[in-house]
Amino acid sequence: MEILAGFGNGLLVALQPENLLYCFVGVFLGTFIGVLPGIGSMAAISMILPLTFYLEPTSALVMIAGVYYGAEYGGSIASILMNIPGTPSSSITCIDGYPMARDGRAGIALFGSAIASFGGGIIGMIVMAMLAPALAELALNFGPTEYFAVILLGLVAASAVSNGNPIKGITMVVAGLMLGTVGVDITTGAERFTMGIPEMRDGVHLVIVAMGLFGVGELIVSIRANATGAFQNEIDYKKFYPSRAQWKAMFGPILRGSGIGSFFGALPGTGQTVASAVAYAVEKKVSPNRDGFGKGAIEGVAVPEAANNSATQTAFIPTLTLGVPGSASMALVIGALMMYGIVPGPRLLVEHSDLFWGLVASFLIGNVLLLILNIPLIGLWVRLLKIPYRYMYPTIIVLICIGVYSLNNNVFDVWLTLAFGWAGYLMRLFRFEAAPFLIGFVLGPMMEEQLRRAMLLSRGDATVFLTRPISGTLIAITVLLLVFAIGSALRQRRRARRATRTTSETEPLPTSNKG
Amino acid sequence: MKEFLLRLRRNEDNARPPHAYLGALGGAGLLALSIVFIVGGYELGVGSPRRLGTGAFPVIMGFILAVLSLVVIAIDIRDTSDAERPDWISFAAIGAALAVFALTVGRIGLVPGAFLTTITASLPDPSLPVLGKIILGAVVSLACWALFIGLIGLPFAPFGGL
Repeated sequence: MEILAGFGNGLLVALQPENLLYCFVGVFLGTFIGVLPGIGSMAAISMILPLTFYLEPTSALVMIAGVYYGAEYGGSIASILMNIPGTPSSSITCIDGYPMARDGRAGIALFGSAIASFGGGIIGMIVMAMLAPALAELALNFGPTEYFAVILLGLVAASAVSNGNPIKGITMVVAGLMLGTVGVDITTGAERFTMGIPEMRDGVHLVIVAMGLFGVGELIVSIRANATGAFQNEIDYKKFYPSRAQWKAMFGPILRGSGIGSFFGALPGTGQTVASAVAYAVEKKVSPNRDGFGKGAIEGVAVPEAANNSATQTAFIPTLTLGVPGSASMALVIGALMMYGIVPGPRLLVEHSDLFWGLVASFLIGNVLLLILNIPLIGLWVRLLKIPYRYMYPTIIVLICIGVYSLNNNVFDVWLTLAFGWAGYLMRLFRFEAAPFLIGFVLGPMMEEQLRRAMLLSRGDATVFLTRPISGTLIAITVLLLVFAIGSALRQRRRARRATRTTSETEPLPTSNKG
Repeated sequence: MKEFLLRLRRNEDNARPPHAYLGALGGAGLLALSIVFIVGGYELGVGSPRRLGTGAFPVIMGFILAVLSLVVIAIDIRDTSDAERPDWISFAAIGAALAVFALTVGRIGLVPGAFLTTITASLPDPSLPVLGKIILGAVVSLACWALFIGLIGLPFAPFGGL
């Protein structure tokens, strides 16, 4: 009952003309940026962050959330039509979406993807509305030790369950934690690692780090990726609506994908990519049409789309109730909230219930808007993909420059963005992931504060983290996760090495053939 | 110019991608960073277990990072695969575009700054002729003027210094 009342209030907040407008602007811009191949929701949110500083916190959060799930919707369009994932999580959609497009069924794949995304989004929203208040109530009993343990779990999950090597992931998290210490120490007022530069006294701005690593870094990669040209094929809009059999085939995968996506989204640190990959793998095992997977099965489009969109919504659960990001993009949401002086955590639901429920209700409105944008207006996005990328990326770089410069009207921020942009590109080249770095950077100051408080309250006894039941359990889970991740990475390396050895033993040396 | 860019692109496409073991250099960089934080943290003061000092957290993280960096170096140095094929032309052009914006926006204003930034960013694409780059620059800079100064009202000077 309480949930219904909260949701009703939220609906009133979300339906205020101002919030409605920003929700629309958010989902529109999110879809716009998400459609551009290779540019994901992280880049989309970081580009939009400077604009939100001029808004009320609720409107800003509604807009950021709209950009986030709008980018996920948009990401699938480039995946289906061009086989270039618009966002990392929509790479799974390519597997069946692109074969469908080549087969002349692009319209049905796009329609199926929009419906599955909508289904996933709505189920994710319901899970969030039901689970978040319960989790927040539990978290009200948390002290600094528990918070420290939750943050630690989130950081390890973010790095261990990332796509690359878990050791490199954890290394990046720690590097991010260290960057978070730059600036004035809020407890003692002492300057740390500012190198005497006055602009560094407040630390490095979140927007600069995000815009550099994701905006500039992804843009450099996308130039070559999109050099092959724009999408040129025509879509037959008469073959847009799925048949009754296809509707039936999508129903189960949407439900299963949403369930799996909701679960993985709510886990701190994991994200939509993991959610859609797991959902696809499960569906491939249980589907009656499992042989059609990879060859253009509509189920193979529906399941990852439902999973990544439900995960997008449920990622807000740990973000808002515990202050621990459900995904890398959520780290940006935490950073944005903190800029408004709103501390994400269990008190948020009590102190800013309008903001929380307004956001939940905006998911419903945003998903309906996205359905409109993605079904009747799909032609607009297809036309966008026809614009040659050579016109797009110089425009985006100017927008990034203006966004960063507008933070403090200081060119130092632009230089810093350049440094982070180059660093982001080099990190990608040598398989260091930027997302764990960003999560570490956002959570670093929070983690340090909780560590200091916990040590003060326990009179310097570090065993308190293990002896308190909740934090002890969380730390045990963290250790297990770490062992599992490192173990599976080692197994994978051993397997790869064995495969290489077998290949080199069976194949004759290339030089022996020359003569 | 177009020929030169095309030749550069061809050379880049035909060149061997860098070795993945160069990633160990990243590990070495992180190791150096960890030492900076450990030394700097000690200088700031680590305090006591009960009352952690300003430098305590950087020192703890510095030690963890140092160990992890050594592991990363050990992993990467044995990696015989190829790294991703780099795109140094775009890398340089995008960097130059940001630098042009930083150097010009405060001195000559947003509109010429955005114009020069757009042209610099578009340099790596040989398929866009010079006139096309100039037209694109003009359209983008005028649109930025209308949007950011006219509509949003950001305190930027459209022409001339701030």
